[in-house]
Parts: sequence; C-alpha cells; structure tokens
Amino acid sequence: MRRQEVTVAERLVPAEGHVELVLAFPEDEEPAPGQFYMLAPGDGLDTYLPRALSFYRVFGPRRLSFLFHVVGPGTQALGRLRPRDRLWVTGPLGHGFPLPEAGVRAALVGGGVGVPPLWSLARALRQGGSEVVALIGARTKSGLLGRQELAALGAAVRVATDDGSLGHPGAVTDLLAGAGAERIYACGPEPMLRAVQAHAARTGSGETYLSLEAPMACGYGVCLGCAVERQKPDPELGAYGAYARVCRDGPVFRWDEVTF
Amino acid sequence: MDLTTRVGDLLFKNPVLTASGTFGYGREAAELYDLSLLGGVMVKGVSREPWPGNAPVRIARAPGGMLNAIGLQNPGLEHFLREDLPFLRRYQTQVIVNVVGHDEEGFLSVVRGVDGQAGVAGIELNISCPNVRDGLMFSQDPERAGQLVARVRRETSLPLIVKISPNVTDPVALGAACQAAGADALSAINTLVGMAIDVERRRPVIGNATGGLSGPAVKPVGLRIVYDLARRLDLPVIGMGGIETGRDALEYLMAGARAVAVGTAVFRDPWAPPRIVRELEAELERLGFGSVEEAWAAANPEARKVETP
Repeated sequence: MRRQEVTVAERLVPAEGHVELVLAFPEDEEPAPGQFYMLAPGDGLDTYLPRALSFYRVFGPRRLSFLFHVVGPGTQALGRLRPRDRLWVTGPLGHGFPLPEAGVRAALVGGGVGVPPLWSLARALRQGGSEVVALIGARTKSGLLGRQELAALGAAVRVATDDGSLGHPGAVTDLLAGAGAERIYACGPEPMLRAVQAHAARTGSGETYLSLEAPMACGYGVCLGCAVERQKPDPELGAYGAYARVCRDGPVFRWDEVTF
Repeated sequence: MDLTTRVGDLLFKNPVLTASGTFGYGREAAELYDLSLLGGVMVKGVSREPWPGNAPVRIARAPGGMLNAIGLQNPGLEHFLREDLPFLRRYQTQVIVNVVGHDEEGFLSVVRGVDGQAGVAGIELNISCPNVRDGLMFSQDPERAGQLVARVRRETSLPLIVKISPNVTDPVALGAACQAAGADALSAINTLVGMAIDVERRRPVIGNATGGLSGPAVKPVGLRIVYDLARRLDLPVIGMGGIETGRDALEYLMAGARAVAVGTAVFRDPWAPPRIVRELEAELERLGFGSVEEAWAAANPEARKVETP
C-alpha cells in the first residue's frame, strides 16, 4: 500500500454513463486480481472521501485503468478528470480473489460495473491454465461491459440483459446452471450476489467467491465504516465479531462467510 | 525546535495525537510508519464487553467531510488488555485509552480495568458519542457529567481527559462541571450530529438515520469551542476537528489547545499524522517560534501575563 500522485493518461467512455480512466503511476504497480484502490480527485472539499474502486485493465507495469458508472458525487468528480489531470491514489488494498492451484473450469459472473475486477482475474486464471466462462449481465445491451476485453483473454463470454435486448433475457445468474463451473467468482449488485449465494447453497459449490462493495471512508481498516455481517462470527470475539470489514477482511469473501 | 508539550501532567514529545475512532488500536497505521513519531495515540473507544457496532450503512459523504455512525464497534476491555495494549506498548508514544459505556457502571468497569496497567498514559472519557444509545446522555446535563467524572476520579489517579460534545447549548458549562468534578483536561470536539438523504431510496443514507459530521467542515466549530474552553476554564485542552495540515494544528494551538488530535484526515491520507508533525515544525519555524510553548503563549494572553509579570 502506497499513496501516490498519478496522472490521467487516457479517458475512455466504454458505455453511456461509464468512464474508464487509464492512470499512469510513478512506480511499478503489481496489484493482485480483486484488489482495489482509493481514488481522491480534487481538493477534497466537494468530495472529501476518496472513492474505492477495483482496478480494471493493466497496461504495462505503470498503467492501470479504472472503470466506473458515473452516479454520485465521487464518481462525478472522477468522471470530470481529463488526460494530464492529477489525483492521489492509495493502494493496492484488500484481499483479492483466491486462485486455484491447478487449472479448473471457472465461471466469472459480472453484473453492471461489477465486471472490471474480473478482467485481471480472467487473465490470471488463463495464465494458470484454467478455462474461463465470463457471464456478463446488465439492465440493457448498452450497459454490458468488458465483452471484447474478456473474449480477447480467451474467455468464453455469455451475456444476459434484464430487458432481453441481448443474450439471455433475465438474470445473469440464470446462466450459471449451464456453465459447468468448478469455481465461481462474482462481482455485481447485491441481488445478483445473493443469487450466486443461493446457487452455491443449492449446488454445494464451496469454491464460490464474492467481491463486495460498501461505503468506505479509509480503505485500510481503521474507520470500520464498510461493515458487512458475518455468517459465522468468531466466538472468541463476542459481539465484536458480528461484522467484517469489506476493505481489509475482503473485499473478496467466500460465499458463506457473509450475509447482506 | 522544541515540539514537546504538556497537558496537565501528561508530557508529549510533540503535540500531534491521533483521534479516537479513526485509528483503531494502531495496528493498521503501524504497517505504514513508526508510531513512535506520534505525540500520542487516543485509541478506539473501549467498552466493558465487546460491542458489535451499528448495522450498515455506517458512512455517508458530506461536503468537506463525512458522516459516520459506526456505533463504537470494539472488542471490549479484556481483548484490549490482552492484545491491543501490549502491541501499543512497543512504541514510544503516549497511549490514551478512550473509555465508553452505556451507564456509569459500564464506564467505571473499564476505568478500573485499565488503571495501573503499564503503558496507559491517561484516560479519555467519551461522553460525547452521538451514534450509540445513551451516547450523549452524560453530555446533555452538566450535573450528570460531573457525577460520572467524580466517580471515575475516585477510581483512578491516571490523567483524566473528558471529551466534550459540540451538540450541546453550552460546552463551557459542561467543561466546568467536569473541572469541578476532578477532570485533568478536556478534549474537543467530538462529531456534530448530522444527516444525509438518499433521494433514490427516499430515506436517510445512514442506517442509524443520523451520523456524526467530521472533517474540514467542522474546523471552525472546533476552534470556537476550544477557544471558549481554554479561556473560560482552568483545564488544558486537546483540540480536534478538521485538522488536515500543520497549519490547522497551529490554529488549534493558537486557539488555546495544548495538543491536537488528527482524526478524519487519516481516511484521505493514511500518513497524515507524521506529515502534520513535520508541517507544524516548518510552520513554527517560518513564524519564528522556537517551541510549541512559545507559539501557544503568543496567542494566549493569560499565558503572556504569567511569563511577563
């Protein structure tokens, strides 16, 4: 974990309302798939708290990109950045996705802006000899992210849209039934993650991992703002163990560790 | 440059402490820098039993700051004594234990538990947390605050600091009651009760509805309350609220604080406390001061009177 001033190298708009910022770091960055950074644009008066974002693509040792949906003040401030603008970035933070020791057949489930952390995961899995099926979901066709990028890594991409404008009409998690996966990794909105949990509970697929998002102030474990309820608290900790920190205990959890 | 400062009998190597509830028990920051660089550490509130904290959402954005309603999630006294205090003892810094409770007995149990423990430099009574049931109970009535402080005073000879709430009509009256009951120092301010609304969900952002506002937005309130407490009472004050830079720290010293604490700033910049020590030193030098004491005395007429009889 370091705090560095970085420069916006490129600003892309991969889908309506979405921005991908390619950031140039002063030193080599080697984050693990699923780790995240705190991005602090501006002088901190409008948007004091930095925004937690998983990194998306890696372009060489000093360039990472971040893809987000412009919704609130934090992502609006980030979305206003242009090439050559500078911002402070702290990371990499948190525990990423656990990788299998040998090649497996893995399904990666991404809903909406949950797709970005799956890119580096897909790359690492492919390098480790795994077969990757990427299941991408969105409300509508224009919100489907990362299809070409994941396909370029050798992932088999299947899509679902809530409005049926492309691919399977309905929930992206419906596609899990036909994926034949030995391992599942998921990142997306809470209803989608709950459906993945339900799938894991039904099939007994223990190797199912979820990447969570939560409102976060610090990103490194001191503010206790990003609490998520534990399914099986450590009895040693008493009532204190009721909640885990998404930032430091996660953001990736096994499906049966947490409830939300 | 002489950065040492005294808060009553407590001697700090420099006036920059970390504020309770923004620093855990130091483990996370210790991975980033040497905690011995800090004047002191005011640890996360410790209760008699472990407390779970509030259900999410606990955090909301605010202009120039943030809202939180963590709810004093903490592992409890026994865990603190077994795991956290021994860890902090490794560093050359003053450890102030922030004590919380739902009632007088809750506070007293923790005070008894930490009294006499090696490595505890002082106690900060947290009678000003807005985010737990009865958190402000002792702040709303100076008489009740005084009763609690008096009972705690009988249990310990450790330096006793009372954390003052800004969510009261008259913080000085509250401080005066604490002084009369035997407090050694005051710390101010805790967060200001506030709210954020999520228009998409048509309800408050924070699960608890309200939360405590902190960050640069509250600095003017903190300075005003520290100024009033320092001038109208005879207790030393530890100032906090929106300190981001060495300059902010100096403003608090000149408002009358004997030391300061850095809180929310560590969320945006985890290395803020040691940076603020360096910046304060540079700022004192720029203004021609040779010590923290000199800067404090220059802005506090009562002190000037003492120095030049």
